Amino acid sequence: MDTWRIIPFEQYDPFENIAIDEAIFRAGRQREMPPTLRFYGWKRPAVSLGYFQDAEREINCEYCRDRGIDIVRRPTGGRAVLHGNDLTYSLVAGEDNPHFSSDIVETYRTISGCIIRGLEKSGVVAKMVKEGRPGSGSAGAFCFAAAYKNELLANGKKICGSAQVRAKGMFLQHGSLLMDFDPVAVCAAIITKISAMEVEKLKASVTSIRENAGDDIGIDTLCRNIAAGFEEVLDIRLIVGELSPEEETLRDSLLESKYLSDRWNMKGRGTKNGH
Amino acid sequence: MLFPEDLLYGRDHTWAGIDDNIATVGITDYAQDKLDEILSIELFPVDSPIEQGEPFGIIESLKVTTELISPVSGYIISVNEDLPDDVGILNSDPYDTGWMITVEVRNLEGMDHLLDAEAYADYIDEVEVTDSKEVDPLLDVEEDVNYIDESEEVG
Repeated sequence: MDTWRIIPFEQYDPFENIAIDEAIFRAGRQREMPPTLRFYGWKRPAVSLGYFQDAEREINCEYCRDRGIDIVRRPTGGRAVLHGNDLTYSLVAGEDNPHFSSDIVETYRTISGCIIRGLEKSGVVAKMVKEGRPGSGSAGAFCFAAAYKNELLANGKKICGSAQVRAKGMFLQHGSLLMDFDPVAVCAAIITKISAMEVEKLKASVTSIRENAGDDIGIDTLCRNIAAGFEEVLDIRLIVGELSPEEETLRDSLLESKYLSDRWNMKGRGTKNGH
Repeated sequence: MLFPEDLLYGRDHTWAGIDDNIATVGITDYAQDKLDEILSIELFPVDSPIEQGEPFGIIESLKVTTELISPVSGYIISVNEDLPDDVGILNSDPYDTGWMITVEVRNLEGMDHLLDAEAYADYIDEVEVTDSKEVDPLLDVEEDVNYIDESEEVG
């Protein structure tokens, strides 16, 4: 039975959260590491942006600034997520791991299968989307407004949004499970257009853990169940671990050079061809 | 799947068309097929030094950002300025209008690591065999159960 590392749930500063994920990903590229599953929360509310998103155009930066909502750009693709009352997971593994491959859709499918098992243990019936459905109109910048192939719905509404980065035979997939869903806050921070119709559209297409499992479920229980889902479906054992000294050094360096920089978070690399 | 014979190929699924010491670089038909619909691209700017086996840009598809890995070492001398506004040509025409950069090649000996069309096709066959390895049996059994009925796809 393969053993993987699990880094248990802890809340971090928004910039540190993404720096830690990238540090695990980069360190894994440089040496043989077992896959790492990590759970985390957000000390402060934040909007995370997909790598290619245009902050000024796609989210309400002024609203975020006025309310102390940090904006952090991810190394992964996809669209914006409003974090704060969610459980975020990340998984870093090599394409040569027996459970994964270089196939993007297949990787989403494998991980979704594990999360489905964990949600089932938590009282949430979730299923994968076969073909995906597009987001539309003013909600297009919001991750949960669209569901891609092999992403998860519960009662026909999106319950988990995920994205990946791939390089040199490794991948990082991270994703968000909303504990509660506040469509008004999402409209204000991300959709930039607050109207009763937008709120109703979001309510009809997005759901949360507590909407499905009841108010009593806590993040610790959910983490335990999802971890068990990975262990059972993939026949692996998760061993609790922490960041290595190398990963801590990388995290600090990424924080300084990238994630604490307004330039990165608002503009991206700034070397885009023609953008 | 098309692998033109006048090009050389890297194992990271990029191609190089060599003319003296100038290489034109793009992604292969196999890469565009696996990536599915490419939505965004960001290339290193002109004059950037690049190394064989190291990134020269990033693309996004399926909510995944993927590094573009250079098959050659040298300096970027031009980038395809049409791509950001018409990124779909990477899927429809990866060997011609979908070229990405041209590079003044610094080390022509590095070309020895590249594959010709036939060797690249064989390499793809190997990759496909490896990728089809032991998909988790439990997931396979549960596949239908894990997917939503199309009639349920509402919202």
